[in-house]
Amino acid sequence: MLNDRQPEIGSTIVIAKVAFNAILSRLREKGYETIGPRVKNDTLIYAPIEGVDDLPRGYISEQEAAHFRLTYTGHSRYFDAIPGAQSWKQFLFPPKAELFALRKTNNRWEASTPESRSPSYAFIGVRACELAAIQIQDKAFLRSDFNDPIYRARRERVFILAVNCMYPAGTCFCVSMGTGPRAKDGFDLSLTELEDVFLLTIGSEVARNLLDGIPFELASAFLLRNADQGLERAASQMGRKLDISNLPDLILNNLDHPHWQEVGLRCLSCTNCTQVCPTCFCWDATDEMSLDGKETHRERVWDSCFNPGYSYQAGGNTRPTIRSRYRQWLSHKLGTWKQQYGTLGCVGCGRCITWCPAEIDLTKEIPMLQEEAR
Amino acid sequence: MVAQLTTRPVAINTEHLLEPQWAEVTSITKEINDVSTYWLKFTDPAIQKSYTFQPGQFNMLYMPGFGESAISICSDPNDRSKIGHSVRFVGNVTNAIGHLKVGDVIGLRGPFGTYWPMKELEGKDVFISCGGIGLPPLRPAIYHILRNRQKYGKVTLLYGARTPADLMYTNEFDDWRKANIDVQVTVDRGESNWTGRVGVVPMWFYQFRFDSRKTAVLTCGPEIMIRFVIYEALARRIPLESIFVSMERNMKCGQGSCGHCQLGPYFICKDGPVFRFDAIQPFFNVEEF
Amino acid sequence: MNDALQETIKELQKIPWFQELEKKHLEKVASITTLRHVRPDEVIFHEGDKEDNLYIVIAGRIALEIFVPHRGKIRIYTVEPPDLFGWSSVTPVVHQRTAGATSVMDGLIACIDSEKLRQACEEDHDLGYLVMRRLANIVASRLLVTRLQLLDMFSHPESQNAK
Repeated sequence: MLNDRQPEIGSTIVIAKVAFNAILSRLREKGYETIGPRVKNDTLIYAPIEGVDDLPRGYISEQEAAHFRLTYTGHSRYFDAIPGAQSWKQFLFPPKAELFALRKTNNRWEASTPESRSPSYAFIGVRACELAAIQIQDKAFLRSDFNDPIYRARRERVFILAVNCMYPAGTCFCVSMGTGPRAKDGFDLSLTELEDVFLLTIGSEVARNLLDGIPFELASAFLLRNADQGLERAASQMGRKLDISNLPDLILNNLDHPHWQEVGLRCLSCTNCTQVCPTCFCWDATDEMSLDGKETHRERVWDSCFNPGYSYQAGGNTRPTIRSRYRQWLSHKLGTWKQQYGTLGCVGCGRCITWCPAEIDLTKEIPMLQEEAR
Repeated sequence: MVAQLTTRPVAINTEHLLEPQWAEVTSITKEINDVSTYWLKFTDPAIQKSYTFQPGQFNMLYMPGFGESAISICSDPNDRSKIGHSVRFVGNVTNAIGHLKVGDVIGLRGPFGTYWPMKELEGKDVFISCGGIGLPPLRPAIYHILRNRQKYGKVTLLYGARTPADLMYTNEFDDWRKANIDVQVTVDRGESNWTGRVGVVPMWFYQFRFDSRKTAVLTCGPEIMIRFVIYEALARRIPLESIFVSMERNMKCGQGSCGHCQLGPYFICKDGPVFRFDAIQPFFNVEEF
Repeated sequence: MNDALQETIKELQKIPWFQELEKKHLEKVASITTLRHVRPDEVIFHEGDKEDNLYIVIAGRIALEIFVPHRGKIRIYTVEPPDLFGWSSVTPVVHQRTAGATSVMDGLIACIDSEKLRQACEEDHDLGYLVMRRLANIVASRLLVTRLQLLDMFSHPESQNAK
């Protein structure tokens, strides 16, 4: 039944897949930069997209510990391929951001800050786990006692079109973490892809306004049931499982467990996991000074608790061994994060498992802490 | 855990991350061989006027081209004309600070962190046990006690350093003694002309009588000294909740955002540096945590 | 009991350990103890001396020092009431003082003849056990202090890490 009024928040409409382009154009008209998954160099990245043809239609990603392969199977769906190393974190919390420049005149420093206005992004295809990760990073960057102006400016403007995963990959465990496969809230639109159509659930006023004037049809009970069944099936096909009922205590009560030593021997401290993890938020500030000492730039860059210099302090290092740094990362992510921010820091996206060159898999490492220390 | 209030930092920029306010070096006091105190005053008088801090808090001092260093404030909170920072020259940033002259400027952000619970300590005996570069963050607490002496019971300062030449602020000890603070000093070793105590800080606890029901211990210094001071305090049945420690970790942002200074669930820069010991006890003795 | 002995017992009873002794043991130790007043800079014994006493500080402060060529005499420990020094003479391994002892201020020390103490311990193993147990405690805490001094915790951090 066609209807000219705007769809209600919480309602689900159905559109033909080609009609999706109209939504993307609308977003661009409103000044958004539409970013979505794209195939590049045999992998998946997040980059500007213009239409559905830019999406990785027909692809799937095979993921296992230390294994990622993008395969073209020729199927007809656009959003099947589970994301690669990149996450949306790089847009809200850029890997490199200019903070300010200083110029010295008369023994005094004058500051100038970058002119550019913060971009308005429209994230197209945010997985439920990725959406949960954004919400987790919100808690770290946007607080009552402090909020990060760079994150805030981008986050305020961002439009989120979430996608509900129908075909999880080998390292996925969003179900264990309670973050998916269905996006619950925090989106402007959420999309479920069926064979022939897209179902779009309206999540915000911004989304309602966006669709103003576009003729829409409410999704029938049959289609909704299709979607539910697909998501139920997806939930049963997760590649990994993690029992979190005993977290964070299992980790925090076993900080001296011999298993850390064992992992410490395998881990290369390469920082891949922290780079690909959508919730990791550590950063550093660097100074770059001109040779004459009269100008300097200060930048914020991503950092990692695996970097040896991370815990360096006045001539010594509080975490000199890889064992201690791996323990810091895991005991933070699935341990102390809960006390800091109210939830665990992991969303079950599986990237750290896929992109670890040493095949370290936290869904296997954590249960080892239950083994009696010998 | 005691949820300590922190004062909202005055000298920060909420719109431009890490952009500092600027302060001029008004004077430099050479304290001991590798430590000098830098007396700073904001170049903007309005900021200087509104800047306040609590004993135990720190500022991030910024040397353009080098970076920032977290330095405890060591001056009297009541003196609003200048802010003192005792800097030990031990890394790139602090060594760069060491080249500053009077009249130069330095970036300043702050104040940050939790502070010594001076209000909570009223009516108690206060036993301050510290060593080396651990005295500067406690000096503002001592000034507060001096200003409000009758609000506190028996007050003791047990302070140690490596050698007599490494003892800081010694020219003030007699004034403190006159104000009825028992100032006791020790060194790890001395020359033959040293007539004071020789022996590590924790060992001297046996020389004091403690009423465990009303004594609070404040401590700051190398973590190993803190560890043994706490053993001594606990051996005298001083409850964990009456022991306060100032901790130190690598700090970059001072605001609990960059992650560097974490010890377990705590960001030393915003949940500390002053902690009630029961809060950090589960993580304090875990090696390399 | 003569006055000197009574005086000695009175001073010794200021020391907690002596308060726990049975009367006969207290009197035995007191009978081989002399009290000695000391003045600032008074040397009690030099490093290398072959004297044989166990000392307890009742009042004042005694500095223990070791001579290091090119550096001079270094004070490595100070003894205050109710601590003791010269304990190695009770179970001697090296039969000479390994450090010198100098009084830093006016004070009072109790000097116990170690040879006679060893004899008394041999004759009365109960006393022997108490003395050795006490010594073991002293040595243990002295060892801990020495270890902490060894760690040089206040030194410049860079000199501590050989990395």
